[in-house]
Amino acid sequence: MRRLLILFGIALTLSAQYQNSFKITWIEPGSNVILPEFDAFDNSNGTLGVLNASGPVNTEGHPFFTALGSNKRACVNCHQPTYGMSVSAASLLDRWRATDGKDPVFAAFDGSNCPSLPQDKESSHSLLLKRGLYRIPLPWPPRKADGSPKKVEFTIEVVRDPTGCNTSREYGLQSAQPTVSVYRRPRPAANLKYVLSGGQPIVLKTGLLADVDPETGKPVSMNLMTDAREATLKTQAISAVLGHEQARVVPTPQQIDRIVQYESQVYVAQMAHIFGGPLAVPGGPAGLGVAALRDHPAGVLGDNESDPVFGLFTAWKGNDYYRSSVARGADLFMNRQFWIRDTAHINSIGLGNPLKRTCATCHNAQMTGQDLSAGWVDVGTTNFPTWTEPNTWAESSELPVFKITCSRDADPHPYLGRIIYTTDPGRALISGRCVDVGSIVMQQLRGLSGRAPYFANGSAKTLREVVDFYDRRFDMKLSDEEKEDLINFLGAL
Amino acid sequence: MIRRAGCAGLVCGFLAAVLAPGQPLAGQRNFVSCPIVRDTKTVPCFLAEYEGELYFLGIQQDITSDFHPPQLKHQVLVEGRVVEGPRICGGIPLRPVSISVLKEVNLACNTLLPAEPGIEAPPASRGAGPSSRRLETVSAPREPLSGRQEFTVLYSFNDDYLEYAGNRTVTEATAYAKRIGASSVKVSGYRATTLLSSGDRLVEKAGLAEKRAQNIATILRGLGVAGVTLDWKSEPEPGDGQTDPSRRRVTVVVTP
Ligand code: HEC
Ligand code: HEC
Repeated sequence: MRRLLILFGIALTLSAQYQNSFKITWIEPGSNVILPEFDAFDNSNGTLGVLNASGPVNTEGHPFFTALGSNKRACVNCHQPTYGMSVSAASLLDRWRATDGKDPVFAAFDGSNCPSLPQDKESSHSLLLKRGLYRIPLPWPPRKADGSPKKVEFTIEVVRDPTGCNTSREYGLQSAQPTVSVYRRPRPAANLKYVLSGGQPIVLKTGLLADVDPETGKPVSMNLMTDAREATLKTQAISAVLGHEQARVVPTPQQIDRIVQYESQVYVAQMAHIFGGPLAVPGGPAGLGVAALRDHPAGVLGDNESDPVFGLFTAWKGNDYYRSSVARGADLFMNRQFWIRDTAHINSIGLGNPLKRTCATCHNAQMTGQDLSAGWVDVGTTNFPTWTEPNTWAESSELPVFKITCSRDADPHPYLGRIIYTTDPGRALISGRCVDVGSIVMQQLRGLSGRAPYFANGSAKTLREVVDFYDRRFDMKLSDEEKEDLINFLGAL
Repeated sequence: MIRRAGCAGLVCGFLAAVLAPGQPLAGQRNFVSCPIVRDTKTVPCFLAEYEGELYFLGIQQDITSDFHPPQLKHQVLVEGRVVEGPRICGGIPLRPVSISVLKEVNLACNTLLPAEPGIEAPPASRGAGPSSRRLETVSAPREPLSGRQEFTVLYSFNDDYLEYAGNRTVTEATAYAKRIGASSVKVSGYRATTLLSSGDRLVEKAGLAEKRAQNIATILRGLGVAGVTLDWKSEPEPGDGQTDPSRRRVTVVVTP
């Protein structure tokens, strides 16, 4: 107890170092501020750092911070430095209360459960306010680069529609422009050199050609977005301006360049723990903090003993309570074995089912813990029986439920067959393939403390719920101490 | 039509059994069954039972390994040769052995046995944790290729998924064709027959030869290889019960 109090005292002084009492925590579009090279923001776990590696950023007129479309929104609405270049559900609820629901972040188009709902009601924005989820409308069937429809291997029916959007005559699957609405968390627009690295000409998981950068023709990592639908930051930014910002004209090349430049130099990581003090300290674990993210090479496989995913934590072994817990958590992430079972695109790509391995098998790329190969995996977050939602599709769920029926001549989903109930078909909405149903591209694991809830569908409210999910899903039999260590470790990233 | 006991439900939709029995093959074991996973102190062993006997197929390895383990929730087609010597993980070892995971889900395939004292997996180049070596192992320099070259991509039964090894082969063929500015790159697809130890024949599904060839041609063209032509043989290759896995293939002939 005494030890904890002393630690608490140290923590307060350290976090005071990063404090700035006039800090803007929510940047509004069109604001005129200078973002410093390094800034720090408190969260319930401690302090998150944001590094602008190419120096201070003036938001005035900057296309990332300026509304470019018709709904007064800018990128920054959903990608706020304070919240790890994503946005937390809690901050959205604060925002709702502060603006009486008028903030452009709640725009009907995708900031509500469905544009057809009465927009002044809180319940019409429940997915955003409770889970931090935006509506992602995707055309069905998916289209090829030339705009023609792709050949698909399955049909989609809507079996539950709590938001009304998938059955809506105007917005749904039967509308003039057939659309599937899924609901997803904003992925962090930071540390992106890691997200973009690792592209191979032939995707290991599918044995098919990777998407290419339309400008260079080079294969891309296929780790952008929940379903890898965007090839590059440029194509992503254009879609975001036309979609989230509801612009009627394509942004200019200069605007796109500035957006991409800004995103490409911003790094986000937790910097201090509320009791444990600063994380990026000389002689400490080399992978923590924003400078490490800036300086480390991207595209390096970390699923090995000598040079692990988030670096070595040996310096903190047997150190104080918090630090040794983080070090044990890092060790568990790399080394704690369990049976990885029935995960499409891991067990099914030649590794065998089950596979006795660790977290780092899937989260294998250095510094961000994404998959160095194209990262879509069905880990059990969206397909029924899901491990995050009520267990059967017939129980009430806040999310839509789709029934996928795959054609006889298509390869079935390797563990669920040809009839699949899902809240988000994930990659399959883009590829049209049955094997991809429910495969979600894993996110980077940085800045987690600033941007709860977790998973693409916001189903894990806390890091504890993430760890509990894995404990259930893979029957890991984690002890309470192991859970706490994993949570402390993830929270320090 | 479907005669094999244990070949249940959906799986058999694909398996065309032909009435004429083949020759029994000494030392060769070709059969379809549920895999059995045996945990050990280190990596799991993969086994399968046939006619009351337990066979050892291999251990969990890396994606780069030659042996790709079977999967629970799926039947496996095993095509292997019995090797003399002690049992491994309780099973008679088969080597070489070809493993084909059958595509349809089969929930009956669900046996995961716990580790037991005295049952040990052979030494693994990679344990069940992170790799102890860097993956970028430098492969021994090879004689640079020259002249007409034939590259062969092998497939699992009834499958057009390009496995790790095939991925490497296609990458090599691409590099070679581009380096020499090949005048012609001919892709040929095949499907094949497996002669089972029971005498039944399993024939790969119609259309697979074309699908395999199309996939490879698409990749080669997409990677910038010029002069790609393709054909495929619709008729299945015959099965002899010994070399059948080598005929589930696509060949890529690169001519200077
Ligand atoms: C209304 C909220 C919203 C706005 C505005 C918005 N985004 Fe996003 N962003 C999201 C969501 C939600 C996702 C995840 C979508 C998915 O995975 O399907 C995302 C994903 C991304 C990603 C992918 C990161 C990764 O690791 O996959 C990038 C980069 C990004 N946004 C940049 C931008 C830029 C640039 C703009 C402005 C042009 C912008 N966003 C505007 C909500 C928003
Ligand atoms: C079989 C592959 C696999 C394994 C093993 C695995 N993960 Fe994941 N992980 C994923 C996928 C896929 C996602 C994205 C799922 C989604 O968003 O629906 C994910 C998401 C996450 C997230 C959420 C990140 C965010 O921004 O929301 C965290 C945290 C995480 N994993 C931690 C872990 C930990 C800790 C372990 C080990 C106990 C682990 N993972 C094991 C595949 C895996």
